[in-house]
Amino acid sequence: MESAGHQPVLIIVLLLISAFIAPLLYRRWRFLSGAVVLAALTGSFITALLLLSKSGASSSLSYHLGNWPPPWGIELIIDPLRVYMLLVVTGVSLWIFIYALGDLKHELHNDVIGWYYSLYAVLVASMSAITLTNDLFNLFVLMEICAITACAIITIKDQRECLEAGFKYLIMSAMGTGCFLLGVAMIYMVTGYLNYSFIQSELSLALTDYPLNIFTAAALFIVAFGTKAALFPLHVWLPDAHAAAPSPSSAMLSGLVIKIYAFALFMIFYRVFPRSLLDTIPLNEIILWLGAMGVMFGSIYAMLQTDLKKMLAYSSISQIAFIFMGIGLDQPLALTGGLYHIMVHAFTKSTLFMSAGAIIYSTGVRRISDLGGIGKVLPLPLFAFTIGSASMIGLPGTGGLISKWYLALGTLETGRILFLLVILASSLLNAIYYMPIVINAFMSGEEFKEKVKIVPLSMQVTLAAGMILVVISGIFSRQVIIFFEQALTSLY
Amino acid sequence: MMDDQIVRITSRLVAPFIQLYGIYIILHGHLSPGGGFSGGAIFGASLVLIALSFNLEAGIKQISHQTASVLESGGALGFALTGLVAIAFGGNYLANRSAGFPLGEAGQFFSSGAILVITVFVGIKVASTITTLFYNIIEKEEPLGNHKQTD
Repeated sequence: MESAGHQPVLIIVLLLISAFIAPLLYRRWRFLSGAVVLAALTGSFITALLLLSKSGASSSLSYHLGNWPPPWGIELIIDPLRVYMLLVVTGVSLWIFIYALGDLKHELHNDVIGWYYSLYAVLVASMSAITLTNDLFNLFVLMEICAITACAIITIKDQRECLEAGFKYLIMSAMGTGCFLLGVAMIYMVTGYLNYSFIQSELSLALTDYPLNIFTAAALFIVAFGTKAALFPLHVWLPDAHAAAPSPSSAMLSGLVIKIYAFALFMIFYRVFPRSLLDTIPLNEIILWLGAMGVMFGSIYAMLQTDLKKMLAYSSISQIAFIFMGIGLDQPLALTGGLYHIMVHAFTKSTLFMSAGAIIYSTGVRRISDLGGIGKVLPLPLFAFTIGSASMIGLPGTGGLISKWYLALGTLETGRILFLLVILASSLLNAIYYMPIVINAFMSGEEFKEKVKIVPLSMQVTLAAGMILVVISGIFSRQVIIFFEQALTSLY
Repeated sequence: MMDDQIVRITSRLVAPFIQLYGIYIILHGHLSPGGGFSGGAIFGASLVLIALSFNLEAGIKQISHQTASVLESGGALGFALTGLVAIAFGGNYLANRSAGFPLGEAGQFFSSGAILVITVFVGIKVASTITTLFYNIIEKEEPLGNHKQTD
């Protein structure tokens, strides 16, 4: 592996430095504080693009922190899949941040907005680092940072339900990281390494001598990442947390934070566990069944909701389960679908939460039944909501179709027709709870009565960008799919 | 808060020694057990002790809310920038010897290059964070709706 220059670490450090400067600047120059974080996010996105052109679709680069070579030091790795995830993380968070600049003033106390910027930058830094790291203990530390900042951007809104939801999230997530740490200890016990690549080569030997340790560790990892990513039976914290948070935080949490853990589990499965372990115990099968149940139950719960943001939150449970199904089917086409869904759902769910945020911003309405006729007074947010719903259902021309298509191909390839039915059924269920909102908003005869505030420009621009992104991901998917095909060959 | 002569005089006597000990632990982080976090926590505890045994105003006189939060950001910033200095000297991020930081002789005070610098920054950060946390908790004790901003 060749050296990667300093770009991988600069992405993280740039964001961290902006996070430390933002609250200082906010005391004097409020405007500059947001600008610094915006600049850092843009910088990290551009750096990620540079890394993409550098690494290409097949090679991988490594960076040794503090010049300590692995297994002693922390190693950051740039390979195609990580670069893809890094691009999604930095790009989507940049986009949501522009929205946040417009929305936060009405959701938060004026004194804490500087701290919000700071927390946001730390959250993005930790997520970028989770994608890049090649060290289990480093991953643990970053997960803690990610969990604490994610809780903080919920509880920063000084309301009873935010504090309650944030506290619940904090407890569940601490349980998750606890399980993860225990799992890491088990792995360290039998291999003596924390570096992914070293563990992988060592585990295939250790598997015959200490199977129980490794099985326990695998179980702990599934519980840990399942809790963090809201995999079906461990999802209980998600609806409250995502619904109560300020809208930019909801978009961030639903769009990226849960996915980063799904990606981390994917990395653990294919970069830490050797193939022989996945063949010995049915880890993928467990994930597959949990994912299938999540897809169904998430949709069913979502149908029962009366609150708009809560419905979107339950829908996230069903959508994150698609990604887990991709991992569970353990097959290149299905993995392509799952990984593509990371990006598609980040675009789609963020757009949906942003349009919900815009509706709440300008009218204060949250109940689904009160949205009749709102399309005439707020055309742009509701149009964005329509496009987002179409992608959730998987209509042609939106990104949702592509990822579900590849997942479905994966189920056919492995001969698991049951899971094909699950995917189809979930699409129908999505249509049942998304379409009435859209139809009611545009076509109902009633007039919308509430007072309407004008949506700020930054929010309108990001909503329009969201629609475009969802459609682009549906139409120009070929390049990305080819990229995945090349990248996934290294796993099989 | 408590109004007790014995507690006040004792804590006033003891506080400088606690602070000195905290500084010692921070500065000897690279030589002996302890370091930035433990030393910073000890130093922060002395400020909390003053605020507890006198009142919040006395604590704020030692280090204001604003100074504490500036130090908090500054400490973390210093840590991050020390890592960047290593890049400027031609090493990787947070590199020590390979970036050309003088390591000195093991066991001497001026040794271990970047570690000493980073320990000091961590100490500043932790001490100010502990005081900020404490001030925040105390201020939140006031009934809601009657938000008095002290800074």
